[in-house]
Amino acid sequence: MIFKIEDVTVYFPYDNIYPEQYEYMVELKRALDAKGHCLLEMPTGTGKTIALLSLITSYRLSRPDSPIKLVYCTRTVHEMEKTLGELKLLHDYQVRHLGTQAKILAIGLSSRKNLCVNTKVLAAENRDSVDAACRKRTASWVRALSTENPNVELCDYFENYEKAADNALLPPGVYTLEDLRAFGKNRGWCPYFLARHMVQFANVIVYSYQYLLDPKVAGIISKELQKESVVVFDEAHNIDNVCIEALSVSVRRVTLEGANRNLNKIRQEIDRFKATDAGRLRAEYNRLVEGLALRGDLSGSDQWLANPALPHDILKEAVPGNIRRAEHFVHVLRRLLQYLGVRLDTENVEKESPVSFVSSLNSQAGIEQKTLKFCYDRLQSLMLTLEITDTDEFLPIQTVCDFATLVGTYARGFSIIIEPYDERMPHIPDPILQLSCHDASLAIKPVFDRFQSVVITSGTLSPIDLYPRLLSFTPVVSRSFKMSMTRDCICPMVLTRGSDQLPVSTKFDMRSDPGVVRNYGKLLVEMVSIVPDGVVCFFVSYSYMDGIIATWNETGILKEIMQQKLVFIETQDVVETTLALDNYRRACDCGRGAVFFSVARGKVAEGIDFDRHYGRLVVMYGVPFQYTLSKILRARLEYLHDTFQIKEGDFLTFDALRQAAQCVGRVIRSKADYGMMIFADKRYSRHDKRSKLPGWILSHLRDAHLNLSTDMAIHIAREFLRKMAQPYDKAGTMGRKTLLTQEDLEKMAETGVQDMAY
Amino acid sequence: MAGGQVEKRVKYKSSVKDPGTPGFLRIREGMLLFVPNDPKSDSKLKVLTQNIKSQKNTKEGSNKPPWLNLTNKLGKSHIFEFENYPDMHACRDFITKALAKCEEEPNKSAVSTSSEQLSIKELELRFKLLRENSELQRLHKQFVESKVLTEDEFWATRKKLLGKDSIRKSKQQVGLKSMMVSGIKPSTDGRTNRVTFNLTPEIIFQIFAEKPAVRQAFINYVPSKMTEKDFWTKYFRAEYLYSTKNTAVAAAEAAEDEELAVFLKPDEILARETRQKIRRVDPTLDMEADQGDDYTHLMDHGIQRDGTMDVVEPQNDQFKRSLLQDLNRHAAVVLEGRSIDVESEDTRIVAEALTRVKQVSKADGETTKDANLERLERMSRLAGMEDLQAPQNFPLAPLSIKDPRDYFESQQGNVLNVPRGAKGLKRNVHEAYGLLKESILEIRATGLSDPLIRPEVSFEVFSSLTRTISTAKNIIGKNPRESFLDRLPKSTKDEVLHHWTSIQELLRHFWSSYPITTTYLHTKVMLLQFPNLPIPEFAIYIDS
Repeated sequence: MIFKIEDVTVYFPYDNIYPEQYEYMVELKRALDAKGHCLLEMPTGTGKTIALLSLITSYRLSRPDSPIKLVYCTRTVHEMEKTLGELKLLHDYQVRHLGTQAKILAIGLSSRKNLCVNTKVLAAENRDSVDAACRKRTASWVRALSTENPNVELCDYFENYEKAADNALLPPGVYTLEDLRAFGKNRGWCPYFLARHMVQFANVIVYSYQYLLDPKVAGIISKELQKESVVVFDEAHNIDNVCIEALSVSVRRVTLEGANRNLNKIRQEIDRFKATDAGRLRAEYNRLVEGLALRGDLSGSDQWLANPALPHDILKEAVPGNIRRAEHFVHVLRRLLQYLGVRLDTENVEKESPVSFVSSLNSQAGIEQKTLKFCYDRLQSLMLTLEITDTDEFLPIQTVCDFATLVGTYARGFSIIIEPYDERMPHIPDPILQLSCHDASLAIKPVFDRFQSVVITSGTLSPIDLYPRLLSFTPVVSRSFKMSMTRDCICPMVLTRGSDQLPVSTKFDMRSDPGVVRNYGKLLVEMVSIVPDGVVCFFVSYSYMDGIIATWNETGILKEIMQQKLVFIETQDVVETTLALDNYRRACDCGRGAVFFSVARGKVAEGIDFDRHYGRLVVMYGVPFQYTLSKILRARLEYLHDTFQIKEGDFLTFDALRQAAQCVGRVIRSKADYGMMIFADKRYSRHDKRSKLPGWILSHLRDAHLNLSTDMAIHIAREFLRKMAQPYDKAGTMGRKTLLTQEDLEKMAETGVQDMAY
Repeated sequence: MAGGQVEKRVKYKSSVKDPGTPGFLRIREGMLLFVPNDPKSDSKLKVLTQNIKSQKNTKEGSNKPPWLNLTNKLGKSHIFEFENYPDMHACRDFITKALAKCEEEPNKSAVSTSSEQLSIKELELRFKLLRENSELQRLHKQFVESKVLTEDEFWATRKKLLGKDSIRKSKQQVGLKSMMVSGIKPSTDGRTNRVTFNLTPEIIFQIFAEKPAVRQAFINYVPSKMTEKDFWTKYFRAEYLYSTKNTAVAAAEAAEDEELAVFLKPDEILARETRQKIRRVDPTLDMEADQGDDYTHLMDHGIQRDGTMDVVEPQNDQFKRSLLQDLNRHAAVVLEGRSIDVESEDTRIVAEALTRVKQVSKADGETTKDANLERLERMSRLAGMEDLQAPQNFPLAPLSIKDPRDYFESQQGNVLNVPRGAKGLKRNVHEAYGLLKESILEIRATGLSDPLIRPEVSFEVFSSLTRTISTAKNIIGKNPRESFLDRLPKSTKDEVLHHWTSIQELLRHFWSSYPITTTYLHTKVMLLQFPNLPIPEFAIYIDS
């Protein structure tokens, strides 16, 4: 359908539209007009992504003189594929109606591991070794060497791409990673470098959060994006965590050992160069004296990770004199490693600020703050000079230098915590020194400053006023949308007791109680026998899930569950989990039905949809609180309290409930879909906990469903499923329109009636 | 047009490109006749009206000549070109009427025609089916001979049985049990330390399917290196070591005994299969791709120990295998189903057949591009939002339930309107029993009357019976072997089951008559509502 929002003609690829999608577009357009940032919460299952994509691309079409670029950030690669899939649909529609002028170039961008087509490189195990294998074939000095020595192996794809030079362009279209790979293979060009090159020409870029938020990656990939870009963070309820992760580093024993080995290797290389090519080291020294940390323009293939500090915090000065010489720098690093080693040898938990850490480092190891700050730059320069390609081998020393640079750069918003062992496993010594960032606003600040509009959106941003405080920005639009319901297609319930009326909870003192474990099991046994197709269960942690499944296995509960449905489980092995998910979907597709056990805050909860028959019921076992004794969490809570006056308990509950809402929110995708959600913990019945759930769940949580026992829940579930099986009128009943057609929109535009019946 | 007949001058075309044979089209109720002008032409045509599936015609005003296109039930089309539009419309209207009439009395025409057309072969097939299946025979006797259903209606719902390929198709492969193999508990004699495992071909098959390394080891070792019995002893020894979770002992034993080590080591073949499968996974699920993407998972970057990720004891020990992995593997194998068609007692044959199947499927996975294409197609289909666009019609897969009796206990009384609680239930059962007893006494006293038993009584008995069946599961407990039915005497059990199947048969016909559009269907529904079923005598047993 095609309709107008004020002066913008919107091309929307479906015949109908939900009223809230329309509203969402109106608000989004306001934010774009005002060239400001916005915060939009809209329930899952209301087609947020397509509304967003279709408004922004239509906005671009309506302003041909100042075309905006869309930078769409997703949390995971598979969400990226999903977004590009929807964009493809939209693009086809727009091209059909507008012809070639609507053509855009949209690309997904990922690491070499996901884009490489060179089979030899791909044979490497993980991302880092793929990166290294690529650099071994594409670094400028390797290629220079190959002109003399034909035995040096290069990558044909990269060579072809380089040969094509500026002619290596992607024709307009929407490219998923798969499409990019296919295109690259077809033309013989390296898809990774092609995609990176196309970033500056593309109209839509879809990539993961880190490519904008993590300075190490953003410094390479995203530095050339123009100001006239709209940045969208989708599923952004965890954005604060991504921000603080991006600036946190830690050092372990193995890191130090590895770093020492790296230094030995570097030392050898320096000696070798001294003997064969002393001029090179001298040239580097001279360059550093002149104040150029890095040789001006690096070719793409030589680049490695960028500076871990944020761009405006990086000093544009010459590298201090005491580390200009390669040997001196190596000495400084040795002293640093030694000092860190001593600090790791502690028996107690220690916590200090970066300032005091730096000053004690200065007094005990004689390394100044400014020297620390330049560690990253100096190491990069040295590694380039020494022509080191196996970057994966040198990760430990990289880590240490990143740590040094960050600790030298930031005085506030961070703390250093040294723990001799993990609190929960005191018998295993595993010392760790962590530099952890507490202030999420640091990492995202450059993004807010640089781009004209930043859109933060998700299904769960409640309470919506907390996010501007956590990220310290002022949105021009901040709204939470309700969901217009054609029928009550979600059915949230709070289960507080088992059939035997004993309370259930994952509270620390109750969670291992055999009665609770049994009641949780019985709930599932009953549910799997009445719910069709897929059922998903979320547990509060891996260890809890592990334990409870083992108990269920011993007591025969698991056997009873397996009589009804197949059982698949998320494990810490990502490959296995992926296959389990794939099988789970297949079991749902073929009608066999399955249960999926998963973990809140885990990878599955983060980004996998359990919509339609893939999830008719979600059971959230317990309240997924963070481990509150964690020193890092404590430090962060303290910081939040001191800086933003956010109360500890409030933050913890907010965090737990957003995770829970996230888990259960994945069951519905559209209004034709339906699903039940069971919050199985007595604590959910308390108002202070429950009220932190997003409004669209709360509005369906009836008072009668707040304090249920297992058999009551079964009864409600039976009735709900029976009701959902009836045919219904999709367009909405009783004067409430929940599905708008083009005519409806036109009528609304004429009469100027904006508010639709919710 | 009088006398229910139309005759028009037309040209008959067997296809669009056919120049056409001039002649006459004569339409009578019930059939359609084309007589060519040229008597020698072989395009003479006779079509029975009930064989016409649909008709299409060109629009007046379009440049096309007035064509009428009839499609018969075999999908073949006949095109008639008329001289002018009014002619065509006249014919079209006539056929429409005839078709409507034909539909109204499918019974009459169907019976007459079908019995005409019923080949001897088909009749024979029906008889054969009745002979072979006593239950079907009983149903047939009950409904067809009592005129509740006609012969054709009865067979219409069993078209599949009559279908040509029914004999081949009916051999449905039985899936695997969803019970875990690790669930087999050894039996002990209580006095000595000996444990005995009972291995059935079913279990062996499952072990082989779930653990390719064991399968491979079997092919390699048995019988050249050890006997089958030794092999399984070793296998269960290894399983026992796993279950103790004592990795040190496992490692020590594995070091001593290289054959035992095979069972204890991680499964290489499995790992290879995994690597292969992961490449074909749906990209919207591929979490492995994430791992290659997000740079916070660079070693030691990001937050390590804030309690969001919890610690589990290091898993990299090669002699450790988690229950979770086993569960996933097991479910995957069950989902795959029985891939081989070997029903052999010989373990070696089974093992070899499985290996062969695996190799074939592996080769398939590498060569077919179709799977990839289908995956992409699926993805784009899923990208759309279902209720914002026109509905997509997916092909329906036929539901094939091997033995509906397995689902006997899943029938449920309508508990919605009944107050819940065991108390109410119990009272109901007794009440029903009391009522029944009373009426039996009454019959004894006064003799048979009409109706035999008062409707309220029979309703009460029925509803409490269904409720008992659906709750019996809870009362008896969840022992899968012992069902409610097995507790009844055999003759009663047969009676109950027969009654149940006849109700199902009737219900099937009842619902398939909706929506009621013709008088025929109406009478059928009325007939079905009061089928005059014999009141079951077995109700007396329910209180046991």
